[in-house]
Amino acid sequence: MAKKEVGSVEALNKLKQTDPPLFLTPSTELSQTARKASQYLFSSLKPFCPKVYFQSLYLDGYVAEQIWQQIDLQCKPLVKKLKGEVIEFEKNPDEVLRLFGVEKKKGRGVEIEDGDEDIEDVGSDENEEEGEDEEDEEEEEGEDEEEEEGGGEGGVEDRFLKLNELEQYMEEDEAREYGGEVVKSKVSKKKKNVHEEEEEEEEDEEDEDDEDEDDELGDFGDDGEDGDDKLGNARYEDFFGGKKKKSVKRQSNIHNKPEDEEQEDDKGDHKQTKESLSTHEKELQKLHSKIEQMEKANLDPKAWTMQGEVTATKRPKNSALEVDLDFEHNVRPLPVITEEVTASLEDLIKERILEGRFDDAERAASLPSKRLKELKEMDENKSKKGLAEIYEEEYVHQTGLGTAPLSSSDQLKKEAQLLFDKLCLKLDGLSHSHFRPKPVIEDMSIQTNVPALAMEEIAPVAVSDVAMLAPEEVFAGKGDIKEEAELTQEERKRRRANKKRKYKVEASKRLVNKVQGNRLPDNSNGTKA
Amino acid sequence: MNDEGFHSCNVICGGAYPELQQDPSQKTGLLQSRIKFEPLKTHEISEGHVQFRKVSVPPHRYTPLKKAWLELYTPIYEQMKIDISMNLKALKVELKTKADTPDMSSLQKCADFVHSFMLGFDVIDAVTLLRMAELYVYSFEIKDVKTLRGKHLCRAIGRLSGKGGKTKFAIENATKTRIVIADTKIHILGSISNNRVAMDSLCSLILGSPAGKVYSKHRADRARIAERVKPECPIENVVL
Repeated sequence: MAKKEVGSVEALNKLKQTDPPLFLTPSTELSQTARKASQYLFSSLKPFCPKVYFQSLYLDGYVAEQIWQQIDLQCKPLVKKLKGEVIEFEKNPDEVLRLFGVEKKKGRGVEIEDGDEDIEDVGSDENEEEGEDEEDEEEEEGEDEEEEEGGGEGGVEDRFLKLNELEQYMEEDEAREYGGEVVKSKVSKKKKNVHEEEEEEEEDEEDEDDEDEDDELGDFGDDGEDGDDKLGNARYEDFFGGKKKKSVKRQSNIHNKPEDEEQEDDKGDHKQTKESLSTHEKELQKLHSKIEQMEKANLDPKAWTMQGEVTATKRPKNSALEVDLDFEHNVRPLPVITEEVTASLEDLIKERILEGRFDDAERAASLPSKRLKELKEMDENKSKKGLAEIYEEEYVHQTGLGTAPLSSSDQLKKEAQLLFDKLCLKLDGLSHSHFRPKPVIEDMSIQTNVPALAMEEIAPVAVSDVAMLAPEEVFAGKGDIKEEAELTQEERKRRRANKKRKYKVEASKRLVNKVQGNRLPDNSNGTKA
Repeated sequence: MNDEGFHSCNVICGGAYPELQQDPSQKTGLLQSRIKFEPLKTHEISEGHVQFRKVSVPPHRYTPLKKAWLELYTPIYEQMKIDISMNLKALKVELKTKADTPDMSSLQKCADFVHSFMLGFDVIDAVTLLRMAELYVYSFEIKDVKTLRGKHLCRAIGRLSGKGGKTKFAIENATKTRIVIADTKIHILGSISNNRVAMDSLCSLILGSPAGKVYSKHRADRARIAERVKPECPIENVVL
């Protein structure tokens, strides 16, 4: 047995020395040592457990889970008990001193206690994964215990449970919470006396447990009654207690300042976190904190970004640089020119050159030409035609009786045509090998019966109007024409006689006109010529 | 008398009184008996009296009248058949209808013709009044448009006529009118619409716009009108 013990202790020590990360790697040696150590611990803890399920830790043929379950079963009540003890010691430090004062008597107990503490540490290491859910389970177990102890309806009060004591404890607790006086009544002292009489630790623990459990349940003095119905009528309060506590807290909070409220809430939360905090409560807490945050944000003055129109003076310096401002850009973002872009462009250019497909601007085909409107310049000379003639021509044109007179453009065209013909004639003359006469340009013009000499002076040498005139136009005479030299005497006489006759007739006419001219003619009325 | 009156009444209001309607046979008799009227001669309109018009001669037109007398006289006497004579003492031209004057309005036309000559128009231009019915003379003064005094007035007159009269001629040619600028009085001879256009141009000149502006406005208006009226036909046939 001693050897075994020694071997087990060695195993324990070994475990202590190994690095925590090594536990993650599966190794048979480590597991063997761990099993040994746990067995030893199990057996050593056995005397202190309130309930004993197993005589020893059964290892052979059991999986790690099963071993773990065994340990768990043993340790849970033990841990509770120890916790209760710790609370008790917390409350009454005198106890501790007294305990240590009685060291001589109960040295073993102290050692054992130390050992217990060590074990407790290890146990706590092993039981790291115990969450708050397990605490709830503890509560349940506690409740079950209490129920077993409580008994029937009438039997609320017991050897252990006394309502007066319950109330007293409650007051004390409240006082502690709110920082008030600790009301020490006879009851607590009585309690202590009771402890001294009986086995201190266990009964303390039990009472503590009871009181704790009662404390947790709070004002539900009648919880025992409800509890009789057990799980069938389970309620929120059974699991999470403290509902009325919270309302009490709130009522007192209203009177206090918000800071106090927060502190108290913190205390309350703290108190609650100690014992019970379900997921729902956690969510509620989160929600409340969020709500508070948002309300606070709403009350505070808004950030400058949310204030609408903000000038530079109203916002902190250089703050606009830190914020992502969104405003409309009137300019298209310039294209980033990368190598790919240029390469693509160059490819395109090469292709186009090879194809010969250049996007040249094509000249738009001009519309079917309308007749060009003549912009007549304002004629600034006095018009040669009278107004009547103008209207006459207009009327003629409108009615279509006569031909429209040549417009200036037509005249210009004719002139141009004429000049061009002349030019062509000259140029063709250069290329003709034989002489070709000029073409006759038919032109209506009046030929005056002027002596050839006069004409020849003006006209060019090649042309003379004499040639143009017909012989009749040159001289028109009737009968046998003779010159003076050719005439006979009789013919001369005859001619002279004719001449005289004509002269006489004319003279007489002249005379008559002279005579008549003095009188006023019939037509002229009053105007003297 | 009653019967005649009755019948005449019937003729006037034929179908108004159905009771009075005669039988068709009797109607034809009525038609036959209806008096036929021939158009009256001018002489008879005034019941044999002779109508006169007198046109006073301003002194500055006296010598031109003497020079152009025959040109005035010939169309009036021979074509319009109206007697025309000059009262030297009163310095008035007198016009008188004759027995064979065909048209009643000819006297008035002749009077207008002579009057326009007195205003300052040439005979060849004034003759248009005799030939065309719808010609009018529109007269206004510079002070009607804008009150100008002294040098401004002189400048306005100068602007109107232009250098050597070219602005005036340009407007005349463009609008088919004849314009006479006599100191502050302006006379325009032409048809109503043409008169208006010429008047607008002259008014803008009086108010101060330069001649070039008036020309360009003219051109634009003419183009617009021509396009609106005859988009296909070219304007070349229209004589300025």
